[in-house]
Amino acid sequence: MILQNFYNKIIGFFRQTDTEVEESSKDTARNRLRVVLMQDRTNLTPELMERMRKEMVELLSRYVEMDKEALELNLEQDGEQVALMLSIPVIRAKDEEEIKATLAEEDAKKAKEAEEAEESEESEDTDETEEKEETEEVQEEESSEEEIFELTEEKTEKEPPKEQKLKEEK
Amino acid sequence: MSGRVIVITSGKGGVGKTTTNANIGTALARMGKKVVMIDTDLGLRNLDLLLGLENRIVYTIVDVVEERCKLKQALVKDKKNPNLCLLAAAQTRDKTAVTEEQLKDICERLQKDFDFILVDCPAGIEQGFQNAVAGASEAIVVTTPEMSAVRDADRIIGLLEAKEEIKSYKLLLNRVRPNLIKSNDMMSVDDVVEILSADLIGIIPEDTGIITSTNKGEPIVNDEKSLAGKAYNNVARRIIGEDVPFLDLEEPQGVMAKVKKFFSGLIGEKR
Repeated sequence: MILQNFYNKIIGFFRQTDTEVEESSKDTARNRLRVVLMQDRTNLTPELMERMRKEMVELLSRYVEMDKEALELNLEQDGEQVALMLSIPVIRAKDEEEIKATLAEEDAKKAKEAEEAEESEESEDTDETEEKEETEEVQEEESSEEEIFELTEEKTEKEPPKEQKLKEEK
Repeated sequence: MSGRVIVITSGKGGVGKTTTNANIGTALARMGKKVVMIDTDLGLRNLDLLLGLENRIVYTIVDVVEERCKLKQALVKDKKNPNLCLLAAAQTRDKTAVTEEQLKDICERLQKDFDFILVDCPAGIEQGFQNAVAGASEAIVVTTPEMSAVRDADRIIGLLEAKEEIKSYKLLLNRVRPNLIKSNDMMSVDDVVEILSADLIGIIPEDTGIITSTNKGEPIVNDEKSLAGKAYNNVARRIIGEDVPFLDLEEPQGVMAKVKKFFSGLIGEKR
């Protein structure tokens, strides 16, 4: 009897800690299913997720210096909802000068690309439309420069946080 | 008369499509409805076995399509119930032997003589599925509270929603094990319904009686005592528009509780 009691106590002890620590297998199943169905339903293939990740890196590295390899972008279960979790290990926040420089660089690159695109289009077009397009091109460039300048001013006022978690709830 | 064409589908194999088909069909026939079941699982037919009709099949759906017999000749009457017929699948052919158009045409012709045309769909989402769905305007998606079955059901629901001809679909949750749900080792009915966000038409408990009934070739709805049989009967009643509450599958603890439950169950049923 005593032995049995002792045995039961030990078993009881282990059972208790089991239920306290682990989530039930049903909850695991439900949460895994939610995530997998999210992926199934949204046509977000691994390739698209990778592309999204790369684009995020490109965009965010204009403003902060970060560990590009460690950036994680995943669909995850967050309470009752599935969330798009972005975890960015920030090495250092860039200062104003740097941000302005990278933005200017980007801007120059874009302008160059646009020019090249225009040129290739122009070569296909007839002579009559050529002049018109050229004037339009100039206008576009001016306006885009202005926009980006405004953007840099806004962004540099705020210090980017060390660790950012962006959520996009669906 | 223009019968309702209901396709019974699941995506995943082995979740109980054919069993569901045999039982709902038999239950509807027992209620006096004229029912025909079409087995579209060409090459892997099984509905005949579940109904105990395997020795009576002369012509199959392929014979009808290839005009070796008339549609009426190919309909096999059930042993017990004259209201129930089976149009069997061919065992020696593959899914390409019948086209979507041909199945649609067969369903349309059967609609004139029957109240219900139940189409047993093969597993998968390929041509066999496309064929089975072609003639139907309603669907029952069979799933179990397992991850793989639920995931496949979700795929099927997505495909059904894209089909204009399918006006409505309902979820049938099969092989539910209340004791596992209670111990948090199986997703509950609510979990599955919430994840798939579909209307429920039935909850069928796991029942060893299904195995013996398949052995005998007699659907379990003929067994008045079986809980699964009762649950399938309720599905049939919901199909014809009756408002039937879902069975309480929770197994009572102890003998006294069981006795109590039994009596309260009786009272509940009469009400």
